[in-house]
Amino acid sequence: MSVSSELLVAGFNDAVHDGQQVFRALLTAMSEPGKLQQPNLIAEGPGALNANSWQVALALLDADTPVWLSERLAADAAISSNLRFHCQSPQVDSPQHAAFALCDASDVPDITLLNMGSAEQPDRSTTLIVQVPAISNEPHWTLTGPGIATERQLRIGGLSSTFVEQLIASRQRFPMGIDCIFCSADTLVAVPRSTQIDINMGGR
Amino acid sequence: MSEVATGYNFAYLDEQSKRMIRRALLKAVAIPGFQVPFGGREMPLPHGWGTGGMQVTASVIGQQDTLKVIDQGADDTTNAVSIRRFFARTAGVATTEETAAADLIQTRHRIPETPLRNGQILIYQVPTPEPLRFIEPRDSETIKMHALREYGAMQVKLYEDVARFGHIATSYDYPVMVNRRYMMSPSPIPKFDNPKMDRMPALQLFGAGFEKRIYAVPPYTQVTSLDFDDHPFEVQSWEESCAICAAQDSFLDEVITDDAGSRMFVCSDTDYCRQRVAQQEANP
Repeated sequence: MSVSSELLVAGFNDAVHDGQQVFRALLTAMSEPGKLQQPNLIAEGPGALNANSWQVALALLDADTPVWLSERLAADAAISSNLRFHCQSPQVDSPQHAAFALCDASDVPDITLLNMGSAEQPDRSTTLIVQVPAISNEPHWTLTGPGIATERQLRIGGLSSTFVEQLIASRQRFPMGIDCIFCSADTLVAVPRSTQIDINMGGR
Repeated sequence: MSEVATGYNFAYLDEQSKRMIRRALLKAVAIPGFQVPFGGREMPLPHGWGTGGMQVTASVIGQQDTLKVIDQGADDTTNAVSIRRFFARTAGVATTEETAAADLIQTRHRIPETPLRNGQILIYQVPTPEPLRFIEPRDSETIKMHALREYGAMQVKLYEDVARFGHIATSYDYPVMVNRRYMMSPSPIPKFDNPKMDRMPALQLFGAGFEKRIYAVPPYTQVTSLDFDDHPFEVQSWEESCAICAAQDSFLDEVITDDAGSRMFVCSDTDYCRQRVAQQEANP
């Protein structure tokens, strides 16, 4: 529960303007699903968290946002120490109570355990930030929906088929659902609940 | 013209408030047309003067952005001038009156005539975000109506227009459906502007300061105006053309010029009108 000062890494050099730039990249990513963004305003993340996921956390989290960490990330004292020190976010044990859930592609939670909001308040859902090994516009998923003129191709590495099946199944519950932000080392992309995902059968 | 004010955070709002608004904006674009409640802050001007739009602009704007502000299409009215100067002073950003040169456009009650491009952000000032408000005053009920997609009452309201006047008489704040799911108030823009919202390449953000709601329409999203098969949606048209630039395709304001009933029609979009005049002078 405590913060170990020897584990602390740097936050933004300029909290105001760097935070704004990361947010603008996120706004573009969330409003145009599948469009790759590379804000890259920070050099390193704490422990096993990559720099890209770390800048997203710095831009969005604060004392008002309970955060849930997947088992592997929670075991990393550097991550929880830095989240406490820089963001002051309360860390919760149940993803149901989290505004944000942070995980690694190898360690994704059961989506049905996250908070999908309610029909009346779909905005109360958990936003899932997933650290992944690779993101590209190679054809694998075909995305359609708001923010996409015709369709967009997206390939995200390292995700389990169970997770992808759960994500696609959750589309049935719109407007309830989970908005995902995927972060590789240098690229971020968002797939909000309004985006339809079709898996290209030709691809692997 | 105006110096950058000291003693304020960049773009006036504190960082904690901006983060709260930014999180609401991300939810709003993820659920197109859904009104996300947010903790509206006091701004240094009264509600009804665009405090909702200003809070959205303050949370989105960066040092590299160029800002345009319009009020009923005009860059040179009190509200537009004040808000533009506010951000020039508190954020030190560049401002413009040219639609094509702007990254962010904050607007009160118009969409520019010049088509917007992908990458631009249009930020609307919204007085009454709830399209069902004058049909059902209770929030507890309208929230349920949105959850259940129970929008029949609005069709009845439009049908009452048809029964009384023979046509749909609603001419501004004309209700739309976003991505076939949520009914949304487009803010009090003339219905002339409604078709521009459909599949617009720019991102549209809406901020209501008094009612503390934020909603959004992502780029290329379907926005349809409500109508009936036998009374399809129609926009206003004029027999006159603009007295200054002779435009026949823009939204015209009627201006009374004396006590004897003389009047003229001019473009509501001052930038569009000026561009046309400049073009005509260059190629006479």
